[in-house]
Amino acid sequence: MSGGEPLIRLEQVDKIFLQGELTVEVLKGIDLTVRAGEFIALQGASGSGKSTLMHILGLLDRPSGGRYLLQGRDVAGLTDDQLSELRNRLFGFIFQSFYLIPYVSALENVMLPGLYGATPTRQLRQRAQQLLEQVGLADRMHFRPGQLSGGQQQRVAMARALINDPQLLLADEPTGQLDSATSAGIMDLLREMHRQGRTVILVTHEVEISAAAERIIVLHDGRIANS
Amino acid sequence: MMAVSPILDALRQQSRILHMARQALWAHKLRSLFVVAAVALGIASLTVIVAAVDGAERKATEIVRWFGPDAVLVFGGNIESRAVGQRRLTLSYRDAAVLRRSLPGAYLVVPMRVKTNLSVRYRDRVIQVPLVVGATEGYTEAWDWPLDEGRDLSAADLVREAKVALLGDSTARELFGSRSPVGHTVLINQLPVQVVGRLSYRGVVTGSGSIDDRIIMPITTLTQRFNLNRKYFRALRIKFHAPELMAEHVANLRSLLRHLHRLGPGEMDDFTIITADEVLKFLSLFKSGLLLFLGLTALVAMTVGGFVLANLFYLSINERRTEIGLKKALGARNRAILCQVLAEAVCLTLLGALLGMGLGLGLGQLLSRLGLLQILFSWKVFGLAVVAALAIGLLFGLKPARQAAALQPIEVLKDAG
Repeated sequence: MSGGEPLIRLEQVDKIFLQGELTVEVLKGIDLTVRAGEFIALQGASGSGKSTLMHILGLLDRPSGGRYLLQGRDVAGLTDDQLSELRNRLFGFIFQSFYLIPYVSALENVMLPGLYGATPTRQLRQRAQQLLEQVGLADRMHFRPGQLSGGQQQRVAMARALINDPQLLLADEPTGQLDSATSAGIMDLLREMHRQGRTVILVTHEVEISAAAERIIVLHDGRIANS
Repeated sequence: MMAVSPILDALRQQSRILHMARQALWAHKLRSLFVVAAVALGIASLTVIVAAVDGAERKATEIVRWFGPDAVLVFGGNIESRAVGQRRLTLSYRDAAVLRRSLPGAYLVVPMRVKTNLSVRYRDRVIQVPLVVGATEGYTEAWDWPLDEGRDLSAADLVREAKVALLGDSTARELFGSRSPVGHTVLINQLPVQVVGRLSYRGVVTGSGSIDDRIIMPITTLTQRFNLNRKYFRALRIKFHAPELMAEHVANLRSLLRHLHRLGPGEMDDFTIITADEVLKFLSLFKSGLLLFLGLTALVAMTVGGFVLANLFYLSINERRTEIGLKKALGARNRAILCQVLAEAVCLTLLGALLGMGLGLGLGQLLSRLGLLQILFSWKVFGLAVVAALAIGLLFGLKPARQAAALQPIEVLKDAG
């Protein structure tokens, strides 16, 4: 990880979607290097390809062309299950619409990614409790998502993203459904997570939000517009 | 330690998946209930059918054992053409005498006739006895039915038209409780009769009640006192040596009786010969009828249960696409999703099996109380129900589970971008 090996390296990554007869090139020749510990904002308008880029970075989608090296290793040949395992171990996801499971408690939502790993349940539960305390929800652990406000739900999701102690956090418009006061709290948390040494990639269309990042990458029409 | 930990990991993984499955089921109670109910109905019918077929089977062996492999029963009249109004009293005492004398291999020929539903009284106790059998000496031997106490009917009893009787075990119990009936006098329709013996307990239940509820009297006494036909009787019990030659015995008997009754070549028998094989054939016909009818019912019911399950699971998977996509995004492997859906299906079908067995047991009790079916419950029923439930769960759960496992997270986690 040290020794100059970047965490992620994209080389000439393309993504083409088929829409009936039409092919739509969503990403065109993206070159991107993410080093461990960076805080990057992927900024762009709707349709710029930033979400697609995030899906590719998060191993949720495969590029149509180019290479994706994760810790120096090409991920092109990996199976779905191998990708699942990598996502589980290395990545924490934070989504715009939180995506919590509605019928289980905040605590169990936080534990969810851990349940697919090998950590013993008791340890997992302790860690989930600590994380919920860190995001300020110590007194809401046994609430269902429906009993929490939007901001609280996103905090649960952030605690969930940290449960497996991932190196990289991928946050896709994490404040997109929140008012500005709540958003500020969420962004503070995200910065806090970065300060703890995690690599953070934030996807947003808002310039003010991306100001939190150390490096801003502007996507325009499937290409990186600055560098 | 190194060898054990992957197994432990797998176990932990499975128990976590099971836990998630339970939570999901509990969260969708109504849908779960529908599946459980549908499967329960199928399993209930399966339970009843297996129990009924087992019951029929047990009854068949009981009846055949009671009937005896070395004996036949001959009825006057042809059972197959009874509707024609054929004469039923065709067996005469002369027939019996000739058979006794000349039928090869036969060592016992006992003519019988019955009076049904007579009231019998001992002191102030009056009961209805469904069957009073008139027979000759040798009745107990002819039916392999030893006495518990007292003596058998004798040749002298027959000649004297003695007012003596043997009581079946149930009849004796009803009239005398645990005391011995031997030596006491009972009134059969006003006729005072001395009890000389008590038959041992047989315990076979036939269509018309307990076989132990009967009285045996000399056929001469019954004929005389109840004013029955003096020349003919109703049935004939014959015991043979060498039961392995039963087919030949029956052929001899038939041709002799046809000869005695002066039946021409084209004429139908005016009697019916029943052997243990015959009884078995009839009972297995009954059993396979039962199996076919109830089996089809159970199959249809279980298939319906399976389709209800598959349908509701497709709906459920569709409704929970986001949840499933999310789980995959967060690291669930395909197999974990597959296992969860299958676990949900199997949990419900097993629950349905339990409920269905309860329902089937209740229904079976009801049916046997009403005397409609003989029911025999065993561990086999339990095992079959569980296996059937597992099969329904896995079979009908598999496609929805596959569909769920094949979901791509990207298809469902589409935030505006």
